[in-house]
Amino acid sequence: MHMADALVSPFVGAAFWVVSGSLIGYSAKKISEENDPVKTPLMGVLGAFVFAAQMINFSIPGTGSSGHIGGGLLLAVLLGPYRAFITLASVLIVQCLFFADGGLLALGCNMLNLAFFPAFIAYPFVYRIIAGESLSPVRLGAGCIAAAAAGLFLGSFSVIVETVLSGISELPFMTFASFMLPIHLVIGVVEGLVTWAVLSFIAKTEPGILRVQKGSGMPRFTLAAFTLAALIAGGIGGWIASTHPDGLEWSIARAGGREVPGSAVNAEISVWGIAGVVSVLFVAGTTGFVLGRKQSAAVDEEV
Amino acid sequence: MKRFSEKSPGVFGGDRSALVVVVLFVLFVLSIPKFNFLAVVVFAAFPVFVMGAANVPAGMIAKRLLQVSPFVLFMAAGNIFIDRTPLLRFFGVTITGGMVSGGVIAAKTLVTVAGVLSVMYCIPFYRICRALESFRVPEVLVTQLMLLYRYSSVLGEEAVSMQKARDMRSFGTRGKGIFRTAALIGSLLLRTMNRAERVYRSMSARGFQSRMSGRSATGFGYGEWVHIGVWSLCFLALRLIF
Repeated sequence: MHMADALVSPFVGAAFWVVSGSLIGYSAKKISEENDPVKTPLMGVLGAFVFAAQMINFSIPGTGSSGHIGGGLLLAVLLGPYRAFITLASVLIVQCLFFADGGLLALGCNMLNLAFFPAFIAYPFVYRIIAGESLSPVRLGAGCIAAAAAGLFLGSFSVIVETVLSGISELPFMTFASFMLPIHLVIGVVEGLVTWAVLSFIAKTEPGILRVQKGSGMPRFTLAAFTLAALIAGGIGGWIASTHPDGLEWSIARAGGREVPGSAVNAEISVWGIAGVVSVLFVAGTTGFVLGRKQSAAVDEEV
Repeated sequence: MKRFSEKSPGVFGGDRSALVVVVLFVLFVLSIPKFNFLAVVVFAAFPVFVMGAANVPAGMIAKRLLQVSPFVLFMAAGNIFIDRTPLLRFFGVTITGGMVSGGVIAAKTLVTVAGVLSVMYCIPFYRICRALESFRVPEVLVTQLMLLYRYSSVLGEEAVSMQKARDMRSFGTRGKGIFRTAALIGSLLLRTMNRAERVYRSMSARGFQSRMSGRSATGFGYGEWVHIGVWSLCFLALRLIF
């Protein structure tokens, strides 16, 4: 469900970056106020745990396919919303920078879709209400399944909104929603089942780990303000972006004395154009190669 | 997450300016209208140049590009099926609007991912974290990134060996169900928690006080501004010409 850069317009991407950046700042402030240094290495290794746990696959009955745990809700239960959000954000940053999962501009959208909803909505408003502090299998199971499904459902809905606002995909809202939402609801239920099974295992072996984390109550009204800000920023910005070119497009078109790009204006593919592109790639590649050789030679001489 | 070089290429002027340049690169690529295929392809010059200058193995980047999210391909395919308006004829073949815009989505993804990966492969991760810190990114997140990077390979190896042991003892799909696997993940989690406690003790013994480093934010130097300016002009030139 990672959004890629190519699906997000610069304006929508920037708007969601601002929202996610504010959430990071807010969570960091809350964590600093707690002043609990024991949790710092715990967050680090639990972030690494999410990576590791995603390597362990399980077979999904009746489909012949396999899946892995997402880990968002699990982290929220173990760390509380603020620390879980920062931990999930760090996982998304590393996935974007080194694993080609998601994009740099789409990182703000991905943080909202994959970290905000499980940590700040699904955990406090669904899991905590259903499961509370109880370790009874029924309440734990109901809480995990409902919260994971809600988190993934909201996340996938947010993907649809961001994509439609960006105006890059031709898929109409309803068609896209009919593809995305049911499948993510099912994925959410499976994620909930796995989270439930893992938490049940922990409840049996080391129940102390599942004690409710400090600061894991319902987030204050501030969070509703962030959600509202995201919708307004993305909504208004996306509406502007989808009907008019964004600022960068507009200024470049003006500077180049061309038509502001609309639809088919720039679709011409001429032989000269192709020759130009090939020449630029050749020059860039050769210059890079020569510079690289020079640098390697300089390093060898130093050695 | 292996690094190839401890020395970032001088073509960026520094780690911070490299991060700014890569963000500008992504913004310029994404500003290309959805029907301008050639303008996207020409921006592949950036990753090609960086890969050459920093000796980043092209095979490694290509391997990552092959793993590009199926979600993007689905969206690109969606455009091909929905927008069937004939747009142009190329060597006698009719090309529809959906083909071009779908191709642009796929090309933008490949070009931006290749650009980001090629820059990231030539800067060590701890220096990326320091650069982020100097951009006033909250220290909590920077410390978290450093710890995550440090322990992901350790726990990854543990997870791979657990999975291998499970696979050797299971037959077909038996023993690989959700609930059996959950116990495996649970025990990995318990080991992780124990490791966190050991890590905390050893970090405390070394004087750890909730933060890995404490660099104060500083402004950009003259050299960094020059590099950012030169790269911006190159990107702008590509956008104006193509």
